[in-house]
Amino acid sequence: MIVFGCSITSPDMYRDAAQTGMSRAAEPDSVIIANAAAGSLMRSYNLIMDKAAELDDVEALVLVHQDAELVDADFCARIRRALTEPDVGVIGCVGAIDVRNIAWWEGSVTWGSFTHRYTEYGGGQIDAFTFTEDNHPGYARTGEVDTLDGFILVMAPWTIQHIRFDETLGQLHGYDYDFCLQVREAGKKVMTADFKAIHHHSLDLVTDETVWIEAHKRVAEKWLGRMHPAGLPNWGAANDDWKGRALQAEAEAGAERLTRVSIQMKAEAQLRRHKAEMEEVTHSTSWRLTRPLRVLGEQVRRRRGGRGARNGGPHGQDGTRPSANSTPPPVDGSG
Amino acid sequence: MIAFGVAVTRSEDYERWAGPGIERVREPDSAVYPNSSPGSIFRAYNLLLDLAAAHGGLEALVLLHQDVEIVDDDFCRKVRAAFADPDVAVAGCVGALDARTMAWWEGAVTWASFTHRYHEHGGGLLPAFAMSPHDVKLPAYARTGQVDTIDGFIMVLSPWAVRNLRFDETLGQFHGYDYDLCRQARAAGRKVVTADLKVHHHHSLELMPDPENWIEANIRLTEKWESRNGGAGARDWKARARRAEAQASAANVQRISAKMQAAARERELLTELESITGSASWRSTAPIRRLAAAARARARRASRG
Repeated sequence: MIVFGCSITSPDMYRDAAQTGMSRAAEPDSVIIANAAAGSLMRSYNLIMDKAAELDDVEALVLVHQDAELVDADFCARIRRALTEPDVGVIGCVGAIDVRNIAWWEGSVTWGSFTHRYTEYGGGQIDAFTFTEDNHPGYARTGEVDTLDGFILVMAPWTIQHIRFDETLGQLHGYDYDFCLQVREAGKKVMTADFKAIHHHSLDLVTDETVWIEAHKRVAEKWLGRMHPAGLPNWGAANDDWKGRALQAEAEAGAERLTRVSIQMKAEAQLRRHKAEMEEVTHSTSWRLTRPLRVLGEQVRRRRGGRGARNGGPHGQDGTRPSANSTPPPVDGSG
Repeated sequence: MIAFGVAVTRSEDYERWAGPGIERVREPDSAVYPNSSPGSIFRAYNLLLDLAAAHGGLEALVLLHQDVEIVDDDFCRKVRAAFADPDVAVAGCVGALDARTMAWWEGAVTWASFTHRYHEHGGGLLPAFAMSPHDVKLPAYARTGQVDTIDGFIMVLSPWAVRNLRFDETLGQFHGYDYDLCRQARAAGRKVVTADLKVHHHHSLELMPDPENWIEANIRLTEKWESRNGGAGARDWKARARRAEAQASAANVQRISAKMQAAARERELLTELESITGSASWRSTAPIRRLAAAARARARRASRG
């Protein structure tokens, strides 16, 4: 039996995303544990694991964020296949190797079969590099990784019985990385598998930077020297070269912040150009002359009950636009 | 006498921006040095300091980037006013307090009377908060006066600074020369100030084209000035490292987020534009627009000829 679990802080989001996906993926005998959040995500997930541990014949526990939607109707078959690998502890659909801190996306990402669906700017989605079946990059492969993105975690029975989330680390951030390190320290494998998911998430990836930074520090402190390369910087300093590490990281942070400003300024310039182009079009004689035609057309469409918009507009059935092209893998700092 | 110096690596930029700006504001006796740039900006500026130091009647040396255009007809009077206080060594039009690294913009910026003019996306401008106080109300924190450091795209140096300070050529090629010189001036007991000097900075929107060099310069500068301060900031390198590594990761996510938002917004804008240009009424009136464009072109040719 495959058990599903979700910790809920927004019932609406749960209904629209996680519940929809679990209904699609669950089998007739599946158990779904949908709990209101009990404090931190770590504590809430431990509660679900305790409940699952009491059940008989559990093949796997699938922990799903409330904003994560499973896509595959044959999800259970896919994870059963992945669980046949000996010593598997935990499985996910996004993972990376050489991960040194909770920012797993700074490692070498090997698999990402999800799409990031956002509501801002009219809505849309950004596909990770293995969400669609074609055009996988050369580095794409499922298999063993250092860590997974925690928005969907599939636990093997051994893991359900033996590992728990570390509730001392904070409220939300870094629980996935810490959990994967625990699994690997116990000699079990962390693996990616080819199942698909939609992550319904804002484009604001970190909304509480101070809390995120504290979690980053705490997890690094916990694991440095315990599981290589956890807790090391991304540029290969010695464990205890704290001065070198501080100077390098302070400079890197400054460079990142300035680059972000540059991106925002470019976006602003682009918006201005667009407004100018729109103004040129909508103030043109031909556009103004044909206004009565458009008003008429709009009335006809309205009289038809908006069927055209549902069937053939630029938006998809769910009100979002499909992704326009292949983009770099989206990463989610909230995990 | 107020002298002007520019280290030129792209003559066309100098001819288009710095040169005309200097011509607008220079006085009859002003010396102007547009030098080719021999290596780093540190070295190029030191050469300009040496040249200016030889002038007995020097009142100030204005060092400006080749892409900076002075647009202030009252420039020389304002410079003299800024240096009325004999302790002022360096003046600029952008400055910040509590600037702890060469990323001075992460300090508390108190004055910024410039406009960033960019060429991308058809060109445009982004005025800083004190560029047009008649049109845009100054924020409460806006004030000229003493700061920790100024932005080096335009630096005005007092005769004392010209004769006693030098840019530190060991720091690298370009980044951090402004922060370092301001620290030197303050370490010598002199003042760094902002003044209401108006300029245009003709610069790309790409603010970080060489992060590796920028990071190296930042490290070198932090080491230089922290060691001179008795290592005050180095009491707990481990805690600093932990915090900085976390901040760097957080900044990395925020950059990715900004990039994703920019891409999402671009898609939205394109869809909006396409919904118009793809409409039946727009397509059906294309011949009219082509005719009108041809008529306009003919009229332009006629007016030229």
